[in-house]
Amino acid sequence: MDDILDEMTSAQDLKKFEREYNITLLNGNLDPKVQFQYAWCLVRSKYSSDIYKGILLLKNLLDTSSMERRDCMYYLAIGHARIKEYNKALEYINLFSTTEPGNTQIEHLESLIRNKLREKRDRNGSLIAIAGITSLISIFLMKK
Amino acid sequence: MDQDDVLTILKILMIGETNVGKSSILLRFIEDEFNDTMQNTVGMDYKSKKITIDGNTVKLAIWDTAGQERFRTLTPNYYRDGQGAILVYDVTDRSTFTKLEMWLNELYTYCNKTDIVKMVVGNKIDLPDRQVSTAEGLQFARRHQTLYIESSAKTADGIKCCFEELVQKIIQTPGLWDSYAYKPFYTANGVSGPRNRTGRRGLKLTDDYEPDNSYSSCYCNLI
Repeated sequence: MDDILDEMTSAQDLKKFEREYNITLLNGNLDPKVQFQYAWCLVRSKYSSDIYKGILLLKNLLDTSSMERRDCMYYLAIGHARIKEYNKALEYINLFSTTEPGNTQIEHLESLIRNKLREKRDRNGSLIAIAGITSLISIFLMKK
Repeated sequence: MDQDDVLTILKILMIGETNVGKSSILLRFIEDEFNDTMQNTVGMDYKSKKITIDGNTVKLAIWDTAGQERFRTLTPNYYRDGQGAILVYDVTDRSTFTKLEMWLNELYTYCNKTDIVKMVVGNKIDLPDRQVSTAEGLQFARRHQTLYIESSAKTADGIKCCFEELVQKIIQTPGLWDSYAYKPFYTANGVSGPRNRTGRRGLKLTDDYEPDNSYSSCYCNLI
């Protein structure tokens, strides 16, 4: 593991907090704390479907609950970054930074995400270049 | 990432009450910086750093946990497989010292390695209004058989020493880390090297391995 984005939830934790969430949901007394714990596990899952679900739960908390907004924003940024939606992740980082400027933890996460975004752009750039060169060669060969 | 020269990866946990300076200690150790307006850690943070002790380079995977109550239920999983724990309190706030008992219990409950090396750190010694004396800190450390050091993340006092002592002690504890060794007996070219070959067995026999008198020698620098 090289950085915080590689960190994954254990199956045991996910199961435990999923059960707690489902129980409170069935009883009709959903506690924001339980929702956060389950979402926290989901956004750190290895499956993107879990991450999407975690993002929805965190967004819902951010909009409706008085729970610590910084916790939701931080893990929303992590969740989006883990499914490679880096621009979305940076939006939450900006939101976090407006309320808490100079937070070193969030600054570190931001530089991590910007690096990933740069790598992604470089990769896409080289793919486009390769595609361009290949089509030029094929046009050239067809003309011959 | 080049890990050929790394003897092993050690998992270190930073624990203690909120606002005692866990993240500041880590920031000082990793970046040699200090942030006067350090805010509460969100959930968990992770940092890694290579460190060379007695000719052995190890990679530290350091988990900085939020000390706030609402994250308490989320942390147990992090204790698993931890080889070293840094238990931090604030020398100017007695309640954070009293709570160390609770943090130690948490560690004993959730950490599956019974011989995890513990380092108690009395932080913020640069501040004038001290509430916990060095003698009390040392007594606590002796009673619980942990290493002990006093530090200031602000002035960098004791920070490097804290990690070095901890790692040294982990390496000297047979069976604690070798099964997790990234490359225990091979050098970069695949040949078993003398340094690594003697590493595990040799360390068991060294004269300076003192399991019963294990508080930090660095402490002496502070009085």
